[in-house]
Amino acid sequence: MTNYPTDAEARLALHGVEDARQRVIDQIGMPWWYWWGLAACWIGLGVAADVANEWVTLAALLTFGAVHGMVSSRLLAGRQRTMDVKVRAEVAGRRTPVLIFGFLVGLGAVTVAAALLAYADGAEHPATMASVLVAVAILLGGPRLMAAIRTDAISRAAAR
Amino acid sequence: MSVAEFDELIHPATRLSIVALLAAADWADFAFIRDQLGLSDSALSKQLATLEEAGYVTIERPLSERRRRVRARLTPVGRKRFTGHVAALRGIIANAVPET
Repeated sequence: MTNYPTDAEARLALHGVEDARQRVIDQIGMPWWYWWGLAACWIGLGVAADVANEWVTLAALLTFGAVHGMVSSRLLAGRQRTMDVKVRAEVAGRRTPVLIFGFLVGLGAVTVAAALLAYADGAEHPATMASVLVAVAILLGGPRLMAAIRTDAISRAAAR
Repeated sequence: MSVAEFDELIHPATRLSIVALLAAADWADFAFIRDQLGLSDSALSKQLATLEEAGYVTIERPLSERRRRVRARLTPVGRKRFTGHVAALRGIIANAVPET
C-alpha cells in the first residue's frame, strides 16, 4: 500500500526539489577563461589597429571572429561553465546566446565610439585606449550579465 | 502536461534530490552530485544503482576524457516519473485541508 506523505512532508520534499534545481541553475555561465580571453583579444585587436597596417588588422579581426565563432558555438548557451554538469536548455533559457551576442555587439560599438573620441582628442593610440576600456567592461560586465541570466532562470523556474 | 503519480522509489529525500538535480541537467558528473548534495561516494553509488536498476538513470563513463569520469543522466522514463511525482506532491499540498 502506498504511504502518501502529509502536506507538510510534501512541502518539504518540494523544497528539496527546488533546492536541487537551484544548485544546477547556479552552474549557468561561461568558463572563467572566456571573459579573460575575450578581454585579451579585444586589447590585442586594439593594439593591432594602432600599430599594424590595415591588412594585418583585418586578418587579426577575421581570425578572432572565426576562433570566437568556434568557441562560442559550444559555450554561448551558458550551459556548460564547467565539465561537471551540463544544464538543460529549458533551464538555462533560450535567450542567453542572443544576450551575450548583443553584449558583444554593443561593446564593439562602444570601442569604435571611444576610439573616435580619443582620436579627435589627439590621443596617440586611440584604438588601444578604447580597447582597454572595453576589456575592463568585459571583465566586469560579462559575469554580471551571467548573474542576471541566472536570476532570470530562477524566476522562470519559480513561475512554473 | 504529465499525469500526477506518486512514485515511492523517487520519494526518499536523498533520491528525490538526486533526481531533481539530474532533471535540471542533461547530465551531471558523479563528483558534482556528491558534492552538491553532501553525500559520501558509497551512499551516492548505492542510490544511483537503485535508480539505474529501475531504469530511471543511466550511468556513463566517457572514455575520451583524460580524467576518469562517471556521469549520470536521467532517462525519459525517469524524467516522466519525476515530473509525475512532483505533480503528485503539488496535488497533495493543493488538496490539504486548511487547519482551523
